[in-house]
Amino acid sequence: MPPLIDMEKCSGCGTCDAHCPLDVIHFDSEKGKPEVKYPDECWHCGSCRLDCPEEAITIRFGPEMLCL
Amino acid sequence: MSQDVRQFGEVLETDVLIVGGGLAGSNAAIGAAETGARVLIADKSAIERCGDTAGGVDHFMAYLGSGEPWDTREGYLEYVARIARGAVNLDVQNAVFCRGLNAAIERMDRIGCTLKQQDGKFYRTASLGQPGPYFINFNGKQLKPALAAEARRLGSRFLEKCAIAGLLTDDGGVAGAVGFHIRTGAFYIVKAKATILATGNTNRIFDNPTGLPFNTWLCPANTGAAQSMAFEAGATLANMEFVRITVVPRGFSAAGLNALTGMGGKIVNVSGEDFMPRYHPAGGRAPRSKLVEGVMREIQDGRGPVYVDCRHLSPSELGHLKKTLGYDKDTLPDFIEQKGIDLGKDLLELMPSEGMQGGPSEVCSSGIMIDEKAASTVFGLFAAGDCADQMRCVHICTTGGYLAGIKAAEYALDLRRTPVVSASQVGELKEKTFSPLRASGSIPYRMLEDAMRKMLWQNAGPARNEKSLAVALGKLEKLGEHYSNVSASNYHEMMRVLETGQILQVAKMMCTASLARKETRFGVYHNRVDYPQTQQEFEGQITIRKSSTGFQTAFKKLRYDAVPRP
Repeated sequence: MPPLIDMEKCSGCGTCDAHCPLDVIHFDSEKGKPEVKYPDECWHCGSCRLDCPEEAITIRFGPEMLCL
Repeated sequence: MSQDVRQFGEVLETDVLIVGGGLAGSNAAIGAAETGARVLIADKSAIERCGDTAGGVDHFMAYLGSGEPWDTREGYLEYVARIARGAVNLDVQNAVFCRGLNAAIERMDRIGCTLKQQDGKFYRTASLGQPGPYFINFNGKQLKPALAAEARRLGSRFLEKCAIAGLLTDDGGVAGAVGFHIRTGAFYIVKAKATILATGNTNRIFDNPTGLPFNTWLCPANTGAAQSMAFEAGATLANMEFVRITVVPRGFSAAGLNALTGMGGKIVNVSGEDFMPRYHPAGGRAPRSKLVEGVMREIQDGRGPVYVDCRHLSPSELGHLKKTLGYDKDTLPDFIEQKGIDLGKDLLELMPSEGMQGGPSEVCSSGIMIDEKAASTVFGLFAAGDCADQMRCVHICTTGGYLAGIKAAEYALDLRRTPVVSASQVGELKEKTFSPLRASGSIPYRMLEDAMRKMLWQNAGPARNEKSLAVALGKLEKLGEHYSNVSASNYHEMMRVLETGQILQVAKMMCTASLARKETRFGVYHNRVDYPQTQQEFEGQITIRKSSTGFQTAFKKLRYDAVPRP
């Protein structure tokens, strides 16, 4: 499952959008917040969480991987 | 000339264009910039986080001259000749790795991502058929950002969120490339005196056992861009027949096997039997292809599930393991925790990974055939990293990427002529690149890829024969006919459709090269059921290139009787 972004902590810097190797996260400039636009294309590499300056991102795995 | 081309998009000019800003590409940028060339790196992501090592890496293979026979250049090359016999070229390995090793260790220190532990020493582990602990275990979580910072500091320009779609050629060789921005659709025409392709191996090509195509061991954005583009430009490729498979935690195709078995974890079946000695004398430290075979067999024969057992590790070993397991795959500790597993108390279930098209060992790959200067058979075209047939793994991508940068820069700076960019070539490539937006059909890229993946795993996966490979080629033709109906509704999707086309092209090369290798080599990595023995006459590479009839294969004998001079 895709990364979970805590919008309260998110400062709208756009780093997660810029750094995702798979272009999964798209920053919505109107809302000023990122959106996980292509969750099926998430590689679970952790880059977004690593580089988020606000530590707003958590990685949660879903049953499709945990219960296989 | 420039005038004509400007109508199609933004024209950029550079001495060295690097396609792919991963581990090899960013080392190449450093090498090229240090040599005095203007450098432009294009990547689908940001250079800070892209490619196989985006989230980090934890291992760097090296001989360090400690006094043991295995810990020398000769000892290392002997090991290489043993595990990659028939695919690795020792002269090129010596040139692209051995000669650059000391400089690479120093460079890692200099850019702020040392290979050493805090006490200044190297922590070394052995696995995968090694005669001694070649793997330096280190914290590479910030390696990519450190490399990107160094490339930037040296003046490299970055073209990020840019998918390179094709190479430009003139009478003298490669003249640059075209690409597009994956959000805005802006079209770029890059004029370059030398081009280095560094886009990795080919993933998303075989059926994924988890059913999730992006749940891959190597970066799923690596889809054979270099291999397909270089092929179109007339370059010779090699080692394209091989399938790469590894062993991963069940459910998550994550790197980390190295760390687990290197630290002493045992691979066991459902009865708790450490079964690997039945498959290879080195047991759990056997070459990867044997580990895969063992795990597959145990599961197939009903002795699964298969697990890695770390319960016997000492508290300090477990501590080191838990601390470092997230270096190679940042989210693996989260996965293990969310599964409710404590490695000191519980078994962790394993599975064979998805198949990939890639090199059959840790010391060589599949892709563009390179010489000792990382040059391809086409002037102006170089290759580095996993897409170069003689580079693979962190250690060689680091040294070899750097070398490719130097050699490409020297070539560019010596070049007496200016490459010519043809308006008609650019126009054609642009038309082809944007055609999915105008496709009359509406097949999503995923549907075509899913069909291709399942078909290839059955016919060209871990067991192959002449007929199954011919069937695969026939079906790939048919899939190709449907490709023009694959549609995209935005530029991100257009990138995916481009990737699908690259994977299709690599698949055709893989099947064609597999037909030419009438033997079995490296176990399941090229298993010809109709030619089950490994034959001396095939101790060399199958090469492949474009011809008027499609594909032309040839055989290149390799020598292993003498160790290359330093």
